[in-house]
Amino acid sequence: MNFKKVSECERTKLESFLDKFQLPNVFKKVGLTVFVLSFLLLTVIKFIDGEPIWLKPALKQFMLVGLLVISISKEKIEDELIQILRSKSYSLAFIIGVIYIMLQPIFDKATDFILGLDPQPNDTGYVQVLLFMLLIQIGFFEVLKRNR
Amino acid sequence: MENTIKVERAILSLTQDDLAKKIGVSRQTINSIEANRYVPSTVLALKLSKLFNKPVNEFFKLSEDD
Repeated sequence: MNFKKVSECERTKLESFLDKFQLPNVFKKVGLTVFVLSFLLLTVIKFIDGEPIWLKPALKQFMLVGLLVISISKEKIEDELIQILRSKSYSLAFIIGVIYIMLQPIFDKATDFILGLDPQPNDTGYVQVLLFMLLIQIGFFEVLKRNR
Repeated sequence: MENTIKVERAILSLTQDDLAKKIGVSRQTINSIEANRYVPSTVLALKLSKLFNKPVNEFFKLSEDD
């Protein structure tokens, strides 16, 4: 059995399929540019009146796309250690994301109670949750990469 | 798991970067393996074995807590 066959034995078909979801390293910069531009535009339109109604949701979607592109872009050298660290960062992001969704309404209510405000309806949207999870994943991945 | 990758690398006069390039990983991965922070996969261990021309268990050894 040669090394290529040994290598193939260790990889399941699902793993090979998942590899196809990854983009080349150059897309990391593309994703970062899309994210930063969307974030800046979103900040700018907060101070401008009369922007089109579709602009804010569209920019939020672009922020998500930017983060997703960063998240699924390969490293310059994508070896097995990097893949393990990437998996760990996704696990952490998922767990922290679930905890965030569970605890956020409690924090909101506690804050309203402490500040003596009327309770506000919970407006945790999917964009907020996904942004949080993607930011956590990218952040943890960078930290794990630096400490490898 | 303990290893003597650093010694084997020195015998072949290879830097971490040279070894990394020969087996297709990053220099940081070699550093992590040498520092026992990361135990490589069977594939990587066999690639090292081929390069060092030695069986895997000559440079990877189980420690007492394994």
